[in-house]
Amino acid sequence: MLSLSGIRDMFAFWRPKRPPVPFAVQFKKFEMILTRNNAILELMADMGDKLSGEYVFDGQYIVSACERLGDLVFKLISDLSVLTQRKNVDLFLAFESIQHQIEEELAGRHSFPNTSLTMPLEDLNRDVSEEAGNKLAHLGDVRNLLGLPTPDGFVITSKAFFDFMAHNDVTRRVEEGLARLDQGPLSGSEADEGALDALSLDIRTRILEGEVPRPVAQQIAAMLDVLAARHGGKATLFAVRSSAWGEDAEFSFAGQYESVLAVPADKVLSAYKRVLAGAYSPEVWRYRLHRNYKENETAMAVGCQAMVEAEVSGALYTYAPLAREEDAMVISATWGLGAPVVDGTAETDTYFIDRTPTHAVRSAEIAHKPLRLTALAGGGTGLADVEPALRDMPCLSPARIQRLAQTAMTIERFYKRPQDVEWSFDAQDVLYILQARPLNMQPRQALSCPDPSMSVVDATRNAEVIFSGKGTVVQHGVAVGKVFVARNDADLAHFPNGAILVTHHTSPRFSRVMRAAQGIITDVGSATGHMSALAREYRVPAVVNTGVATSLLKTGDEITLDTTRNAVFRGAVQELCRFELTSEESFEESAEYRLLRRLLKRIVPLNLVDPHSEQFKASACRTFHDITRWIHEKAVEELIEVSERHWHRSGATQRRLTSAQPLGLMVIDLDSGPVPSPEDRDVRQDELDSVPLGALLDGLTQSGMWSTEPMSVDLGSFMSSFTRTFSSASAAPGKIGRNLAVVSHEYMNLHLRLGYHFNIIDAYIGERVNDNYIYFRFLGGVTDFMRRSRRARCIALILERLDFRVEVHGDLVVGRIKKLPPDRMREKMLVLGGLIGYTRQLDVCLREDEDIGRHAEEFLKRITPLLEVRND
Amino acid sequence: MTDDIKPGGKTRILILDDEPIVCKRLKPSFQKAGYEVETFTDSASALSRVEETRFDIVITDLKMEGVDGMRFLTRVKELSPDTGVVVITGFATLDTAKESFRKGAFDFVAKPFKLSDILDTVRRIEDKQRLDKGLRAG
Repeated sequence: MLSLSGIRDMFAFWRPKRPPVPFAVQFKKFEMILTRNNAILELMADMGDKLSGEYVFDGQYIVSACERLGDLVFKLISDLSVLTQRKNVDLFLAFESIQHQIEEELAGRHSFPNTSLTMPLEDLNRDVSEEAGNKLAHLGDVRNLLGLPTPDGFVITSKAFFDFMAHNDVTRRVEEGLARLDQGPLSGSEADEGALDALSLDIRTRILEGEVPRPVAQQIAAMLDVLAARHGGKATLFAVRSSAWGEDAEFSFAGQYESVLAVPADKVLSAYKRVLAGAYSPEVWRYRLHRNYKENETAMAVGCQAMVEAEVSGALYTYAPLAREEDAMVISATWGLGAPVVDGTAETDTYFIDRTPTHAVRSAEIAHKPLRLTALAGGGTGLADVEPALRDMPCLSPARIQRLAQTAMTIERFYKRPQDVEWSFDAQDVLYILQARPLNMQPRQALSCPDPSMSVVDATRNAEVIFSGKGTVVQHGVAVGKVFVARNDADLAHFPNGAILVTHHTSPRFSRVMRAAQGIITDVGSATGHMSALAREYRVPAVVNTGVATSLLKTGDEITLDTTRNAVFRGAVQELCRFELTSEESFEESAEYRLLRRLLKRIVPLNLVDPHSEQFKASACRTFHDITRWIHEKAVEELIEVSERHWHRSGATQRRLTSAQPLGLMVIDLDSGPVPSPEDRDVRQDELDSVPLGALLDGLTQSGMWSTEPMSVDLGSFMSSFTRTFSSASAAPGKIGRNLAVVSHEYMNLHLRLGYHFNIIDAYIGERVNDNYIYFRFLGGVTDFMRRSRRARCIALILERLDFRVEVHGDLVVGRIKKLPPDRMREKMLVLGGLIGYTRQLDVCLREDEDIGRHAEEFLKRITPLLEVRND
Repeated sequence: MTDDIKPGGKTRILILDDEPIVCKRLKPSFQKAGYEVETFTDSASALSRVEETRFDIVITDLKMEGVDGMRFLTRVKELSPDTGVVVITGFATLDTAKESFRKGAFDFVAKPFKLSDILDTVRRIEDKQRLDKGLRAG
């Protein structure tokens, strides 16, 4: 019998004997791969930056960037095929599959190759709104980022929706039905109106009578089991709610989609179908059509959450929609479940409250509330009598009103829109957020100025400017509130909700007040710092490095911070705040933004992280980033192999560096001639004549920062490295793979993988200052994302202090420096050597954000004496 | 053509780009910065608008259906030589940039661009217009 390896041997003839291609030619191809590799990474980062909101981009940009990227990746694969003289079929197939997904997205068809059919609420945030729908994605942010309680649950994703619709042949019928409408669905002609009604009925019937595909049904059952187990069998009734694309976003679709309350586990599937069918009622269908929703933008994810045993429930608008109640929010509340409040079918208590802290109650109208809606034990809801003593009592205590108001403002600050919040208190006094959606207000209505044409500029014309144009804007927005000056970390404990934080320096410790702060102003600090990243994440308007904040502002001052114009005004310029809350601009709501975000999911995530893993193979590439990463690894391997196997005729000499540190470094010296025999192939550092490599190795050795001591890994990061399928053995020095440096006297191209860290240095250090450059790239692995990005920021901080031009994208750090005299360039290279040694173990030390600065300082302290000695 | 006095003293901007997203993003940003803004996604309506009223600043895309951005630029400068025109385009080449400047564009901005960049460009036009007016008056 022929074994697999036998077959391989039989076909070995296909692989032609390598012609003795001069090494210089192959190295040129290798360099081309590197250049393209960098171009791809930069283009990916560039596309990612477009999601920040800083840029104006159009559909044309998206199309052309995707084209350019596809083109680069295709050529990169071709380069590798030339270098390795292999066909790389798997790689081309992976490329074709990704390219196809991108083309489908660009053509308006959705593909969810990596999406599951259900997702737990703890995994949801605004980045997954395509999968989870808007309502549940928002709720995910409310729970996971803002830290507010929401009923436990999961979402049945839009992928499940598409599967259901295809499985029951509904997608096709929708398309055909719409095409049949004579004048188009919006013609208003009687015939078409009737036809749409008939189509709606047909589609809804098919959905209600349809079959939930088996994998979907199984996933739902599994999720329900998880919920039941987690709540000790108490979670027996569920709210099944719509979470459609576009719902609760630009248009609220408020009350148009279906929700089913108090559903027992065995009825969840039929409730699911009811909610799906709700997407095709004639009313909601027209609503979508009138707002130019494309039919292919209809997708119904469905949330399934445990019912709250509500004592009191209701709705809160952070802006009362009444002109006479200026700057007030309004709460409607009743006993029991909140559905009657939203439907408008029950008598409710109404409270008007100041928007600004301390949220004083302006008025309270207490209604007679004889009945409450309640979940029935066997499922469904019913009305029950309210105890006589409670019927005419206010159903909210002053303390609960305070909590509601603060919570709602926390949500509003995050979303930068007035909010319509549905909530419940249970008997244990837990405040649950059931839903938060933007409250759409007309700018005029909100701008309740005496003269409606009065604009923002007029509003600030008479305001005193305390300072403007100073420092760096980190996050756009407007904050109106009282200043709180924090002199030290202890002060933060007294930070009042809704205040504006003013401090001398930025600090990652501010994360603890991020949810409470309206805005942040600092004297010093940088836009790339950690606090800035947090401000962006929590969308807190922030300016850093103003130089004057703490000297001009004191605790208790009422100010208005407008970071869009970078100005601080004395007093509350509420018009600015209102303008911000009502401005049409919200780039996340544009179709182009959503499209780019969907596309980037096929491009950017890196799944191939561990070259030792079984999964590190061409066929496992799922994104362009995967392909790029894999090719780079293979190209380096190939170059090592070529020069090793053909050392006698390739013209290149590959030698193994014997060094104190187990670098596993193979050195190809472009200057030196062939080495007589393989026995002479060990080389000591002092035998090499490469300026850049010499300086780097000096840095590694002399800094004493290389430590082979086993690193102390706490349990959390240990587990996380397991889940990323690394074996801890692969980090052991003995197992370090072969690394490569191609050098000449002035030049070095280094690929150094140490444990999970991946360093690339490309450098030229010669006498002509203008030719000199160092390009340094660091990409790390292992440990959780927070630590990886902390490490990236730590490295960036160090490089910045050493005058490198630095870019950080996630855990990728790129540092560049050029055109310095040779001795200064050598100095920088020496530092990089030290840095490589130092950061080898760094990620596992960075447990806290404050460790970043501490480790950066420590490194600089240790490396400086070395530089001084050399300067002497 | 109306005279130089702007209603309420506000600088008036016309934005023309056939992709609605560009107008949708630029309009509120300029409004918030205190400008009076009109946006158009088709060049015919934009053209008839500049025929009937004067704008201080025009921001136009280059490649569109119907009237080409370059012709729009030319017409705007014919009607009102003082109007500052900013050309925004996703197909930036040296040639189109040169041609835009020859036809009187104040600046040429490649898409995608940062909001702050285009705001800066507009402020520079205003500075220049103020300076020119000062010189004329002096």
